[in-house]
Amino acid sequence: MEYFLSLTITGLVMGIIYALMALGLTLIFSILGVINFAHGEFYMLGGYMSYFILAVVAGLNPFVAVAVGGLIIALIGLIFELGFLRPMHLGHIERPAEYAILITFGLSFFLQNLALATFGPYPHRPPSFFEGSVDLGIIRIGADRLTASLLALALLAVLLLIINRTWIGKALQAVSQNKDATAIVGINPLRMNTLAFGMGVGLAALSGALLAPSFSITPDVGAVPSIRSYIIIVLGGMGSIPGSILGGLLIGLVESFGAGYFPDPSRALNYKMVFGLVIFALILLFRPRGLFGRREA
Amino acid sequence: MELELQDVSKRFGGICALNQVSMQLSGSQLVGLIGPNGSGKTTLVNTISGIYKPDGGQIILNGEDIGRFKANEVARRGVGRTFQITRAFRRMTVMENMLVPALAIPSGKGRQEIVDRAREILNFLTLDHLQGDYARSLSGGQQKLLELGQLLMTDPELLLLDEPFAGVHPKLMETIFEYITTVHAQGKSFIIISHDMSSIFTLSQRLVVLHYGDIIADGPPEVVKEDPQVIEAYLGEEDEDD
Amino acid sequence: MTANTEGTSTQSTGNNSTGRRLWFSTQWVVAVIVLVIALIAPLFVQTYWLHVLIIAYFYAILASSWSLLAGYAGQFSFAHMAFMALGAYTVGLLGRFLRLSTAPTGTCAEVRLGNLWLVLLNAVGDNCLEVGKANMPVGTLIYHPPLVPGIILGILVAGLAGLAIGALVLRFRAAYLALFTIAFSEILRTLIRGEPQITRGDHGLRVAALFPDTISRIPYYYTMLAILVASLLFMFWLARSRVGLFLRAIREDEEAAAARGVDVVRYKVMTFVITAMLAGLAGVFLAHYITILSPNIMVLPQMGLVIAMAIIGGVESLLAAAIGALIIQVSLELLREFEAWRLVIFGALLIVTLRFARNGLLAPLMQQLAGVVPRPESRREEAAAEVGEEVRV
Repeated sequence: MEYFLSLTITGLVMGIIYALMALGLTLIFSILGVINFAHGEFYMLGGYMSYFILAVVAGLNPFVAVAVGGLIIALIGLIFELGFLRPMHLGHIERPAEYAILITFGLSFFLQNLALATFGPYPHRPPSFFEGSVDLGIIRIGADRLTASLLALALLAVLLLIINRTWIGKALQAVSQNKDATAIVGINPLRMNTLAFGMGVGLAALSGALLAPSFSITPDVGAVPSIRSYIIIVLGGMGSIPGSILGGLLIGLVESFGAGYFPDPSRALNYKMVFGLVIFALILLFRPRGLFGRREA
Repeated sequence: MELELQDVSKRFGGICALNQVSMQLSGSQLVGLIGPNGSGKTTLVNTISGIYKPDGGQIILNGEDIGRFKANEVARRGVGRTFQITRAFRRMTVMENMLVPALAIPSGKGRQEIVDRAREILNFLTLDHLQGDYARSLSGGQQKLLELGQLLMTDPELLLLDEPFAGVHPKLMETIFEYITTVHAQGKSFIIISHDMSSIFTLSQRLVVLHYGDIIADGPPEVVKEDPQVIEAYLGEEDEDD
Repeated sequence: MTANTEGTSTQSTGNNSTGRRLWFSTQWVVAVIVLVIALIAPLFVQTYWLHVLIIAYFYAILASSWSLLAGYAGQFSFAHMAFMALGAYTVGLLGRFLRLSTAPTGTCAEVRLGNLWLVLLNAVGDNCLEVGKANMPVGTLIYHPPLVPGIILGILVAGLAGLAIGALVLRFRAAYLALFTIAFSEILRTLIRGEPQITRGDHGLRVAALFPDTISRIPYYYTMLAILVASLLFMFWLARSRVGLFLRAIREDEEAAAARGVDVVRYKVMTFVITAMLAGLAGVFLAHYITILSPNIMVLPQMGLVIAMAIIGGVESLLAAAIGALIIQVSLELLREFEAWRLVIFGALLIVTLRFARNGLLAPLMQQLAGVVPRPESRREEAAAEVGEEVRV
C-alpha cells in the first residue's frame, strides 16, 4: 500500500509538470489548429537558456533565470510564428495541413542540431534550486523535483486565471472557438495566433527550465517530452485545457505505475514510454477525441 | 435502371437532414430535385452516391441494396455525380481527369478506345483543345463541363447533378442543356438539383420537392408548381439568388 | 510522369504537353548521366567515398520511396524508418537465431527440411546448441542458412507492417497520421532497445556480410546502386501506370476520386505496402553491408533526415528526391569539418525550402534545364507556367 501511494505521489508530481508542457501544446493546437512537432525542442531550449543565464549572470536567483529563460524562448517562438506560421493563416501556403506538420518537424530538426552544434552533446546541468531531498513520510522526493512541481502547479493556476478571467484569456478562448466571429468583434485572430504560439512554447520552455536541475539538458532531451505531450493532448482531447491537465496527471501516473509494477525492474525504465505510446495508439484508433475533446484535427 | 429509396433517413448530430424519404425512379426519367436552402437536397445526393451512409431505411439500385456501399462501389454500379462546387483534379490534365473514372471502373475497353472516347466527349463539350492543360488553369465553367465529361466516361445509368447551372453564363448554359438532353435521350436517368427554376421546369418531367428533410411534393412540374405546400415552403423563405 | 501522356502528347497541340514531353526526356538524360557517373565512380574514388556513396544510395531509396507515399499518395508517414528497421532486424534476428544442421540437436526447437534440420536458437538461458552438441554425431555440420530467404522474409515483414499501418491510418487526417506513425516507430524502437536478450539492443546486433569473402566495398557499391536503380525504375513504372494516376487523384481530392470510382482504400493501403517493402529492402541490404545494427538506425532524427532530403529535392518528384538525397549525403560528407553545423545548415535549408520553394529545390531546377517553364505570352501559357512548377516525377 505504501508502495502504491509512493508511486501515486511520484506520478502526480511529475504529472503536473507534464500537464504544464502539454497545456502549451494544447494552446497552440486550440488557437492555431497546428500540432507543434517542435514542442520538445522548446522544452530543451528552455533548459539551456536557464543554464546559460545562470552561467553568465553569476549569483542570479535561479527562479528569475527560469522566468527570463522562458520569456526569451517565448519571444523566439513568436518570431517563428510570424515568419513561418502566419503565412498559413493568410492563405499564402499551399496544402496548409501538410505544411504545418512539416514546418514544425523541420523546426524540431533544426533546433536539435543547432543545440548540438552550439552546446555540444554533453549534458549541462544548472545549479539546483534547493539541495537534497524532502521527506514526505511515504516517500523522499528530490527537492528540485518537488520545487519544479510546485512551481508548475502555481503556473498552471496563474494560466487558468489568465484564460478564464482576463480579457486576453477570453479573446484566446473566442479564437479557439470561432476565428471568423472574433475578427468581427474586433479581436485580431492573427495576433492571437502569435500570442498563443509564444505562450505555448513558453510553457514548454518553462517546463524544461524547471526540470533542468533534476535531469540535465542534452540536445535531444526534448524528444521524450515531445512525444509525451502528444500522448497527453490526444488522451485529454485535442484542444481541451482541462483535458491536458487531467491527461498530464494520468500519464504521470501511468508512467509511474508502469515502471513501478513492471515485472522486470531492469527493463522497467525503458518501457515507461511504451505504456503511454500504446495507450496513445489505441486512443487514436478508437476514441480520437480523447476524454474531453471537441475539435477535429 | 431502377432506383428505390425506402424511408431513408440521415442525421447529423441533432439535425435530421433526411427524414424517412421515399421515392422511386424507373426507366429513364429526368427528375428535378428542388427545395429551399438546407432542405437536404445535397445530403440526399450524397447519401445515394455513397458519401454518406443512411442512418435508416434502404437504397435499392437495380435490386441491390447499396446503402452501405462506399462511394466508389456506388460509382461502379452505374451512378455518376457532380459536385456543387466543382471538384475536378486540379493538378492533373484534362485528359487525365477523363481517364481516372474510365480506368477506375473496368469496362473491358482498351486504352486507345478509352482515349478516343475521351476525345469524343471533350469535343462535344468544346474542351478538346484543352486536353493537355491542367484542370486548374480552366475557367470555372470549363471545369464544370469537365466534371460532366468525367461522368460520361463510365456510361452511368443514373446521373446526379448538383447545381449544374450555378454561376454559369448563358453560352455555357446552352452546352449543359444540350448535354443533359442528349444524354437523357440515350436512355439515362437524371436527378438534378437546381435553384434555377426556369431551367429545371423546362428540363424535368418530374419534380421532387424537399423541405427540411421531407418530400412534400413529387409529380409533374405543372402540378407541383401549384401545390400549396410547395408555395408556402418557398414563400416562407428569403429571396434567393439563382 | 503521367499515365498515358505517350498516348496524348504525340497528337496534342497543347503547349503544355510539348513542354512536358521535353521534361520527361530531360529527366531521362539527367538520370542516365548520373547513372553513368555512378557506374564508373569506383574507378576514381577511394574506399571511404565508396562507403559514403553506398550510404547515399541507401538514403536515396528511402527518400524516393517516402516521396512516393507522401508526395504522390499524400500520406505523410513517419513510420518509414521503422519499416526499414524491420527489414534490417528481420535478417539480423534470423541470422542470430536460425541454423541449418545435418542432424537434429534434440535440445533446440527444430523442424525437418528434407535432409536438414532448421534449428531455432533460444534467447534466454544456456545456448541450446552448445548443450545439444554433446549428443550429436561426429561430423555434424551446423551452419547459417543462406541469405536469400532471409532477405525475402525481411522485405515481407516490412510489407506486412506496412499493410497493418496503412489499414489502420486510412481515416486519419494528416496530423493524426503523423502522430500515429511516430508512435508506432517509437514503440518499435523501444521494443528493440528493451529486449537486448533478443535483439542485443544498444550493444549491436551482428549480421552476416553479403560478400563475406572480400574486404572490398565494390560489390556492395554495385549492389546498393542496382537496388536503387531497380527501385526507381519500379516506382517510375508504378507512377506512370493507372496506379499512379489514381494516387494523384486521391491526393488531389479523395472524395472526388471515390466518386469517380477509385477504390481509395485499396490504393492507399497498396502504396503503404509497396513503400514499406522498398524501405524494408533498403534495410535488409543496409544490415548485410554495415553488419551491425542498433536501434539508432531508426531514431526520429533519421526519419527527419530522410524527409528533409525528399523535401529539399522535391517531394513530388521521385527522381528529384533520390538525387536530392545523393547530393545532400555527399554534401554532408564534404562539410564534415563543420560537424554538427552541417545539419544546422541543412535544417535551415529545409525550413526555408518548405516556406518558399514548396516543390523542392532540385525539381524546379531540373525543369528549368528542360526549358519547360515558358514565358507568359498568353493567358493559357501564363496559367500553364504557373502550374508548370508542379512536378510529376
